[in-house]
Amino acid sequence: MNLKNKTQGVHPPPPPAEENDSNISLGKCYPPSAIAPPQVRGAYSSRSILYLILIVFSCVAFCAEQISYFHPPEHFPKPVYDFSNNTLTKEKVALGRALFYDPILSSDNTISCASCHSPYNAFAHTDHDLSHGINDEMGTRNAPPLFNLAWQKTFMWDGAINHLDMQALAPISHPKEMNESLKNVVDKLQHKKIYPSLFYQAFQDSIITGEHILKALSQFQLTLVSATSKYDEVQKGLAEFSPQEKNGYSLFQKNCNSCHSEPLFSNQAFANNGLSVDTTLNDFGKWMVTKQSGDSLKFKIPTLRNLNFTHPYMHDGRFRKLNQVLHHYTKGISQSPTLALELTNSIELTSNEKTDLIAFLLTLNDKKFIFDQKHQFPRELLK
Amino acid sequence: MKICSLFALLLFPIISFAQQTNEIIEFKLSINHHPIKVGKKYLTHAQSDSIHIDAIRFYISNVQFFQEEEFVFSLEKKHHLVDLDNPESLKINLEKNKSLDFNKIKFDLGIDSLTNVSGAFGGDLDPTNGMYWTWQSGYINFKLEGVSPSCPARKNFFQFHLGGYQAPFANVQAVELDIFDKKNIIIELPIDQFLEKINIPETYEIMSPNQPAVDMAKLIASLFYISK
Repeated sequence: MNLKNKTQGVHPPPPPAEENDSNISLGKCYPPSAIAPPQVRGAYSSRSILYLILIVFSCVAFCAEQISYFHPPEHFPKPVYDFSNNTLTKEKVALGRALFYDPILSSDNTISCASCHSPYNAFAHTDHDLSHGINDEMGTRNAPPLFNLAWQKTFMWDGAINHLDMQALAPISHPKEMNESLKNVVDKLQHKKIYPSLFYQAFQDSIITGEHILKALSQFQLTLVSATSKYDEVQKGLAEFSPQEKNGYSLFQKNCNSCHSEPLFSNQAFANNGLSVDTTLNDFGKWMVTKQSGDSLKFKIPTLRNLNFTHPYMHDGRFRKLNQVLHHYTKGISQSPTLALELTNSIELTSNEKTDLIAFLLTLNDKKFIFDQKHQFPRELLK
Repeated sequence: MKICSLFALLLFPIISFAQQTNEIIEFKLSINHHPIKVGKKYLTHAQSDSIHIDAIRFYISNVQFFQEEEFVFSLEKKHHLVDLDNPESLKINLEKNKSLDFNKIKFDLGIDSLTNVSGAFGGDLDPTNGMYWTWQSGYINFKLEGVSPSCPARKNFFQFHLGGYQAPFANVQAVELDIFDKKNIIIELPIDQFLEKINIPETYEIMSPNQPAVDMAKLIASLFYISK
């Protein structure tokens, strides 16, 4: 069924009639113009002033609502995501959350985004070195955690995706992940009872489009902000590091901060961190996208927030423990032409220093974020 | 007063209709000067090979009109998807500018880099149109797919997906054509000439941003023409 040609440029009919067996009436909405006040003619009447006040108040309320869906923490830089093209609203975030948890996005309706990005793992896939998707097919990389995405410039370990809106296309279409096409997802959603009205509430259009699916998914993911760890409390002056954490923090600043820069704990760049090539995967990172020799073996520098929940580590999940990671940086660097300059001289850490550094890294765990109900499975919408 | 305005209201569409001259740009995707029919078998290479086309789709962006070298107007709709499968898409309306004089058209074959990095769009740019890569961000500027017995790929299927917005493989191409009769702007893309210039037994698959994709986009951009 080709909805595209029939519906392009056509604007919203009211929500379609619910199916006969349905009692659910998911709040019918009407375009704002239908309920706008009538125009007042002539001089300013008290009525027109009243309308003006009403408009000002509703604008203020509207703005306040927008802000409440995205809280850039004070100690964070300015977000990279351009919210002016996709302003967050309650309805769009709710729709995005439903889509994120709905396996309808995969070809056999078994795999949702949350299958590999589980909320209890900081939206990563704990215990799996490589992610597995549809029919237990194995991928080639470790699923990264999802949070603080509004500050992320590129996506994927190799930076293949340039915008959060376009990110979801990759797992939806990948034959080993969800093995589905966005076009088919549009079709399936159009025929699933809850979605036309959810889309209407969100976008004032019950005809579902690829653009709206992608934007709604972005909306939900943008609300995943992790900035309430102990580290953050310390930054705000609400807590203090223990002496061990404090020592770990100075070791971190000396040895790690140039790439895993505060407060996001990644400088968003790509680097070759001296991992030897796993010949079962032959993954050359950013080179696979740019085909520029200077990009060989460079991978996205990941954030260090929520490390407790996101193991195993590295693009191929080769390290199960933080100890192994520190061992790599102190003893395991493999030399190659694109190796990060910061790693040409090996990092020296005593075993006590390693323990202190790990104690600091654990202050980046954000339980409040992990267990935040508003990020979790939307029971009220999905079964 | 009321009757007057009612009268004016009734008259308005008639007047505006009278001004319309239905000027459009029409794309003609041709083999041997005939519009291509999807799935029809064509003989090529001096009758020694045959071919049929399954899909031709491409983006036309930033359409501008000039009189001599002077800019006259540009179309408001920035990106237009031309799709062999959708006859309506082969026509582009000149919007409100029919009465102006112009004798040159300039457009881009493909999508500019800013649009490529600005997230999701709808309409002609919606990723459901099959003109957006999924494994790597970026629009496919030009897509040609078909079957030729001389193509060594599986099921003799050849496919060219040309795109890429980043240096050194930025793929978008500028096209500039003279218009001889502004009431009859038919921009022809002779696919037979394209097939003559590439060698299907050797070149039959391009599906990522690279130098061959840039070269092929340049070739296609050079083939557009408007007959006198």
